[in-house]
Amino acid sequence: MSEAIASMWAPRSAWAGYAKPGRHGRTQGEAGVRLTLRDGIGLATVIVADGQTDALRALVSERYGWTLPEPGRAQLFRDRGLVWSAPGQWLAVAETREALRDLPQAFRGVAAVTDQSDGRAVVRVSGRNARTVLEKGVAVDLHPRAFQAGQTAATSIAHIGAQLWQLDDVPTYDVAVARSFAGSFWSWLTEAAAEFGYEVEQGPAH
Amino acid sequence: MTTMTLRRSDADIAAETPERSQAYRVARGGLVDRRKLLDFSFDGTSYKGFQGDTLASALLANGVHLVGRSFKYHRPRGILSAGSEEPNAIVELRSGARREPNTRATVAELYAGLEANSQNRWPSLAFDALGINALAAPIFAAGFYYKTFMWPASFWEKLYEPMIRRAAGLGRAANAPDPDTYDRMHAHCDVLVIGGGPAGLSAALTAGRAGARVILVDEDFKLGGCLLAENQWIGSQAGVEWAAAALDELISLPEVRILTRTTLFGVYDHGSYGAVERVSDHLPVPGAHAPRQRLWRITAKRAVLAAGAIERPHVFGGNDRPGVMLAGAVRAYINRYGVLPGHKIAVVTSSDDGWRTVTDVLAAGGQIAAVIDTRRSVPHELRRAAESAGATVVTDGYVAGTRGHLRLKAIEVVDSYGSAQTIACDCLAMANGWNPIVHLDSHLSRKPVWNEDIHAFVPAAMPQGMVAAGAAAGRFTLAECLATGAEAAADAAQHCGFERKLYPVPGTEPESTGYTPLWRSPRIKGKAFVDFQNDVAASDVELAHREGFRAVEHLKRYTTLGMATDQGKTSNLAGLSIMAELTGQAIPSVGTTVFRPPFTPVALGALAGHHRGKDFRATRHVPSHAWCEENGAVFVETGLWLRPAYFPRAGEKDWLESVNREVNTVRSKVGICDVTTLGKIDIQGRDALAYLEKFTANPFGSLPVGKARYAILLREDGIVLDDGTIARLGENHYVMTASTANAAKVMQHMEFCRQWLWPEFDVQIASISEQWAQYAVAGPKARDTLRGVVDPEFDISNEAFPFLASANITVGGGIPARLFRISFSGELAYEIAVPAAYGDALWRAIMQSGTPHGITPYGSEALSVMRIEKGHAAGAEINGMTTAADIGLGGMLAKKKDYIGRLMKDRPGLTEPDRPTLVGVRPVDRSKRLRAGAHIIALDATPSLEADQGFLSSVAYSPSNGHWIGIGFISRGPQRIGEHVRAYDPVRGEDFEVEICSAVFVDPEGSKMHV
Repeated sequence: MSEAIASMWAPRSAWAGYAKPGRHGRTQGEAGVRLTLRDGIGLATVIVADGQTDALRALVSERYGWTLPEPGRAQLFRDRGLVWSAPGQWLAVAETREALRDLPQAFRGVAAVTDQSDGRAVVRVSGRNARTVLEKGVAVDLHPRAFQAGQTAATSIAHIGAQLWQLDDVPTYDVAVARSFAGSFWSWLTEAAAEFGYEVEQGPAH
Repeated sequence: MTTMTLRRSDADIAAETPERSQAYRVARGGLVDRRKLLDFSFDGTSYKGFQGDTLASALLANGVHLVGRSFKYHRPRGILSAGSEEPNAIVELRSGARREPNTRATVAELYAGLEANSQNRWPSLAFDALGINALAAPIFAAGFYYKTFMWPASFWEKLYEPMIRRAAGLGRAANAPDPDTYDRMHAHCDVLVIGGGPAGLSAALTAGRAGARVILVDEDFKLGGCLLAENQWIGSQAGVEWAAAALDELISLPEVRILTRTTLFGVYDHGSYGAVERVSDHLPVPGAHAPRQRLWRITAKRAVLAAGAIERPHVFGGNDRPGVMLAGAVRAYINRYGVLPGHKIAVVTSSDDGWRTVTDVLAAGGQIAAVIDTRRSVPHELRRAAESAGATVVTDGYVAGTRGHLRLKAIEVVDSYGSAQTIACDCLAMANGWNPIVHLDSHLSRKPVWNEDIHAFVPAAMPQGMVAAGAAAGRFTLAECLATGAEAAADAAQHCGFERKLYPVPGTEPESTGYTPLWRSPRIKGKAFVDFQNDVAASDVELAHREGFRAVEHLKRYTTLGMATDQGKTSNLAGLSIMAELTGQAIPSVGTTVFRPPFTPVALGALAGHHRGKDFRATRHVPSHAWCEENGAVFVETGLWLRPAYFPRAGEKDWLESVNREVNTVRSKVGICDVTTLGKIDIQGRDALAYLEKFTANPFGSLPVGKARYAILLREDGIVLDDGTIARLGENHYVMTASTANAAKVMQHMEFCRQWLWPEFDVQIASISEQWAQYAVAGPKARDTLRGVVDPEFDISNEAFPFLASANITVGGGIPARLFRISFSGELAYEIAVPAAYGDALWRAIMQSGTPHGITPYGSEALSVMRIEKGHAAGAEINGMTTAADIGLGGMLAKKKDYIGRLMKDRPGLTEPDRPTLVGVRPVDRSKRLRAGAHIIALDATPSLEADQGFLSSVAYSPSNGHWIGIGFISRGPQRIGEHVRAYDPVRGEDFEVEICSAVFVDPEGSKMHV
């Protein structure tokens, strides 16, 4: 296949057409919020097979050294791991799609794996006002006494279903919404962040 | 105080010649910042005030009492209170797009350039033409509308209602879109403290020091509550200094959040509270990127209600005259704002605290005209100050009436012997006791209880983790406020797992709280108002009583007592007490009405927040959206989705021409349509097939890997739920589609069946609707077009990949894809799916590959035309009322398996042979346009329900046939092919002859799909 054709087959970011890299909102001082677009990451739904929870736990621990997260928990080592998403269901997260490619085979008979890498638009929210911005949309208590690194919530933001997980104590959050809602979600997020000033940057590309 | 500011004589104090130089501002004192002089205007006249003023205090500083006209009688009205309970001083703020009606001047913070106007007057405030209503007052009494506009009934809609609506209402909304933004915030805490007065501050300090997460909410722009308004001491500090020190400490506590300018307007279940923060209302325009207001949803484990109390007016003739004020408000204007509301101030009181007004007025250099105490005996020490100042003191007396027109000039006082005297004054302070603010407690439908000791309702024992403290609990002294606030907060903190610790409460001066209310003056001269905002007088309560509207809810509705925007904050108890007296009952036996959120009015903009305009609700975009936008697609909203409806080309005169061209191109060449909006569901597991067999109404056992099949889903009641396709990708791996409209419903139904009906099955279900971009490529050149994008190792010839084949393939050099040979249009057609990030690329690649074949993109309109031409049921046919047999698919249902809906579909009503069944219809005169919704009746029938034989569910102009076609449900339709009937459409006034025909208008043999 020629170079020209290969370039025609470039993937399109879920945020394309909505997010513009650079500084926006309030212009004075350091931006209070940093929004990192996370396009190239791998995501997959992992649903445990009937009666196979212990087997899945063992498999996950042996092969990856991960712990199967309890409800409301996310087990992430650097950018790879599992985020609980529903009873018997997790979202596998990896820095690239390729990193999850072997997952269906590895979990065969123990869990059903469904690729969702393109099904979600994911943005990393960090910076001084990260928590405040999310609190504008999230009804869940994100105060450090109630919600810390390694916790996740499936909730809704601006009437859009969303899953978020906290990565560190800074705090840094990843927020995932269904891809088709990316434009509406971005409209809410940037209106909420405008008063603090926000910086948009491209994360790992495809 | 110097004589400088009081140099004016009585005659000068007329509202008609308003002061321009803050003549009523005392020389010193108050909490306003005298270095910051602010210009503002009221009704076009310029005035000056200070930073820290409210509009009301600044107007009073300039001698302006007359600020509005009343609702019904257009009576001149002044400023009654100094807080959010204000019923009279309701003005319009700002202009243009930011014009804002019905703002209480008593809480509107002054800013430079503030522009305010009075409401409900024409042509001017001083001369209001509708003031004539006051002369007709006897006929505008309670129940006037009910009695007058009864007859004739036909006049109501066209004459009475529009007329009443024009006359009613206060203020004008802006007639341009609001240029400001409104924010929203969620907050959580251990202890929510409502009110920042002495009780609230004491509570917040106690809970905050214990380490609890505390939110302190106060509607004022300055914390302190009554400490700002009263001249009181706490320990060795003035109340104001103590409040400032408390604020400093609260700010230093990391887990305490202080929200000023924030009204807690509603209490909801499970510890939820609504509050609105007026972020920028005190500024001419919000700063860059700052919201105008912010809505707070607060969730609290415990709440301390320290909202304070509202003083009660006396009910006497002309008690609404500008210049008649609440005594606490008079003290607030003096102590907080450094404004004497009058030159000669009289006080009418039924309580000890009313006498405080005397000391405060004198201390500010004002003059006390008289003090009338309605009680028989008054402690000597209270009287001393007034008497030594030479004021007239009357005990066991009352005020019967007032004089003056636009401003109070004198009061008529009756003493214990019944003799009347007129006392000149320009301001009258009323002290008739206090009502704890029970509103917020009532929001959860609890009725307050009567406390005879304080002659007031207090909050009932509170569930839901809310407890009242201070004046809100009827504990009025400063010492009680500090103590009960601290105790309530200590308990609350302990409940939340913190140590219960009380700190020593600083000492306060002794307060006398003697009080015997006078519910209304025994003799009344003129109209005595109970509800100022809704113009309800004591005589209206009497009328309601005479006419039998004695129950509290009847009283409220008949007189409109307490139904204004202030919800009767200053009036409800007066109304109840008068009714109690008339019926010989105790006040609690009369009962109370229910207070509802919001506590004070909330702008709809604040509730809407981000969700207005295009963000009113979320919009979903399809993967081809960018291309469609670039290429001039016309979009249509279907649910939350924005779908391309058609793609007009230059020279096409209307949508129909574009759609016809798209249909013709698909049928003769090739077209591409984004069908990503379909629900897509991934089904895996050892029991996937067993599960699907129960879930679907047609058989799937024989479906081999690499094949797809049409699927019918029934509800439990035998009605069709949805239709779609199921493809088998692997031994235990299926992928199913559902219609766009039913995608979520089908997924929910599948989860219900998996989790609840058949938990024994090993099956895993995941929505992949968002993961895959999916396009229909249809038309005789569909295969040739796809050949250009599908990687060469995949054979998609008719032999290798026949009708209903499915496969995992790759496109564009290794990009995973799924190919299904299914057809909705009746043409040779495929649906091809790629991971959504490649959706844009795949669309562009197919357009490029299809260009030599004459490809057209087509939208939801052409899609719909082609499915109608093929007689396929869609949303208008699968409408929650039809069976599989009704839509012509009865024959597909499985005979040998059990499935959802199997038994119920055979209920007698659903198997009735006369049931309307899906069939086609075409006009006999081919030039006629069919209409969906038209009813089918016999040629010779008179239209009636009995004559109705069915209706048209979907119609389209069929370019393939060259005329309009329709499908619909006609009784015994399939047996009546060829019969002529009428399509009767009374909505559009159409009625013409049509022919019943097959629902398949194009390629009835279905041969085109198989080539």
